Amino acid sequence: MSRLTPALLLAVLACTGPKPAVPASPPPESPAARYLRDPAAVERGKQIFVGTCGAYCHSTHDVERDAPSLFDCEWRHGGGDAEIFKTISEGVPNTRMPAWKGVLPQGDDDIWRVIAYLRSASTCRTPPASAH
Amino acid sequence: MVRGRGWVSGIALALVCAASPLGLAEEKEAEAPAEIQLPPVPTHWKAEKPVGTSAGPVTAAQLTAAATPADKWIQYGGNYRNFRHSPLKTLTPESVKKLSVAWAFPTGTTGQFEASPVVYGGVMYVTSSYNRLFALDAKTGELLWRYDHKNGENLRLCCGPPNRGVGIWGDLVLMGTLDAHLIAFDRKTGEIAWNVEVAKYQAGYSLTSAPLIADGLAIIGVAGGEYGVRGYFDAYDAATGKLVWRHYTIPAKGEPGADTWAGDSYERGGSPAWTYGAYDPETDTLYWTTGNPSPDWDGDGRAGDNLYSDSLLALDPKTGSMKWYFQFTPHDVWDYDGNTQIFLVDAKLDGKPRKLIVQANRNGFFYLLDRSDGKFLRATPYLEQVNWATIDDKGRPVVSPDALPKPDATFRTCPSNLGGMNGSFTGALNPELGLAFIPSSEACQVFTKGIGAYREGLPYLGGLPETVDATAGKAYGNMAAIDVATGKVKWRYRDPRPMMGGTLSTAGGVVFSGTLEGEVLAFDAKTGKVVWRFRSGGGMRSQPVAYQLDGRTYVAVPTGSFSTLDSFAAGITRVPEGGTLFVFALPK
Repeated sequence: MSRLTPALLLAVLACTGPKPAVPASPPPESPAARYLRDPAAVERGKQIFVGTCGAYCHSTHDVERDAPSLFDCEWRHGGGDAEIFKTISEGVPNTRMPAWKGVLPQGDDDIWRVIAYLRSASTCRTPPASAH
Repeated sequence: MVRGRGWVSGIALALVCAASPLGLAEEKEAEAPAEIQLPPVPTHWKAEKPVGTSAGPVTAAQLTAAATPADKWIQYGGNYRNFRHSPLKTLTPESVKKLSVAWAFPTGTTGQFEASPVVYGGVMYVTSSYNRLFALDAKTGELLWRYDHKNGENLRLCCGPPNRGVGIWGDLVLMGTLDAHLIAFDRKTGEIAWNVEVAKYQAGYSLTSAPLIADGLAIIGVAGGEYGVRGYFDAYDAATGKLVWRHYTIPAKGEPGADTWAGDSYERGGSPAWTYGAYDPETDTLYWTTGNPSPDWDGDGRAGDNLYSDSLLALDPKTGSMKWYFQFTPHDVWDYDGNTQIFLVDAKLDGKPRKLIVQANRNGFFYLLDRSDGKFLRATPYLEQVNWATIDDKGRPVVSPDALPKPDATFRTCPSNLGGMNGSFTGALNPELGLAFIPSSEACQVFTKGIGAYREGLPYLGGLPETVDATAGKAYGNMAAIDVATGKVKWRYRDPRPMMGGTLSTAGGVVFSGTLEGEVLAFDAKTGKVVWRFRSGGGMRSQPVAYQLDGRTYVAVPTGSFSTLDSFAAGITRVPEGGTLFVFALPK
């Protein structure tokens, strides 16, 4: 690892310092957020969770088993919708969490519905830091 | 003593810290990072000189002997009848109070320690979770040789990493692995004699059972009912590892029974064969049992009886061809695997001598069948709570509609998906008393149906059992003594947690088992009174054995539970995992 000289450090700070304010457009709504307003989609997400993720792995309640609770505020691999989507899609190496991309009957949409269900049933009252 | 590889030599550690003239450490930019060469992890320690030489090769005559020998334990079930009944009369309700620890041995692994040790030639062969195999001096516990199997990555295990023991034949001991290999070792040295791949584990398979040895064949079946596999069990030439036959537990298209599966559901129908069978040398008949159809809790896509899931099969051991079958739970939607231990019993029934198969099934009923033709004779509940079905006079369940899994289920169904009894632990049978000793779980569940999706190697479940009793602290367990002739429960010992440890009976009138709380228990076989207890620490999930060497009586009990399953089954999770084998002995 190389060290930053004081002069270089100043230069870096200058480059990454405050920028002029630019009106920011709201981030696009995630499919999970849309599904969260659709009771049928949330119900389907629940049924997929029950039929695929529960049993010996994740509990349907805020209970830690071999697999973590998905109904509290703690997310080991990121708590934003996109991060959860990535975790479900790609799995978690060296754990029992497999990659589910392309497996569920309606593909990515079903993964988003599962996320919508997890949001609907969560006991966490704090919005995830990187949720969007 | 064992000899390892010379891994200590060759350690090279390069330290590249350099002190500046001012005495301050300074990193050197652009210098290659220090290379640290770690020692290779040893996995195999062979015996320095042959061990167990006081005995010759294991023979068919030894295996077919009616009684379990006193000085050895050479079959998972004690004998081909699976009684797990030691002929030792030294282990009585009085004498066991004098048991003390002779030696103990750590496995160094976590996960449930489910083994039934084999003892032969003064050597104990015991397997741990994750497939470590230890050869130990059965009197002293000295390690003679050891093999740590390097299982493949991303194992497909529904319920933990156990192994339940080895088979022994000739001068070989055989172990199945979690990555679905069957490996034979020279029992005297630990050298690997042969190693065959039973299945591609990545497709959802694993091996957890001890192989059964019959007619020179090593017979072992696959697990994978939670992964939508097509189940089977294989027979290998025990001397060479050559595959002799494979018996699929689900018929192929066009075969008899294929019409009991809707559409192509048979292709991923589960019906694994992950437990141990039985063998009747008199009729040269092999008996094997099968597990649940896949997906476990949603039967909508597999309409029909789903043969031969949850069944008992009678086969010709030379060819693997089926003679007859009996299905305990047609179209199972609860995970009631039909593969708990089967006892081959000769007994009088209604005054007539009968050759029976007796089984405390996972579905909560205690079955009697005629083992010559599979005819159903009787089924009685052996649990205090059974409400999913009654059994008609043909042996077919009459299912309560309330008990069927539903998306919005609220009905508390008994027993749980773990049973009753299940195939991961054993009962025992005392032929003199005519009693079967059955440990069990009383933990009802709400079975909820969901949407499952199949892909090879991924869990294929279709629902889940809500562990309502376990969550509410209402689950408990029993050890029940069941009169084989009548099906009536003679006594019950009730434990605050499900009893999921295996069982040993002795001719002296004692029954050994243990609790998830971490106590090893001895019961008076006639009354059920606890006559001895030992706090082992880890929950008891193993199959205890007894043997006598140089006139001294030993009882071996592997201990160590699996917190994940404990949390599901109402076991105790605050005790750390870790396997320890305890061997107790009576005074000299």
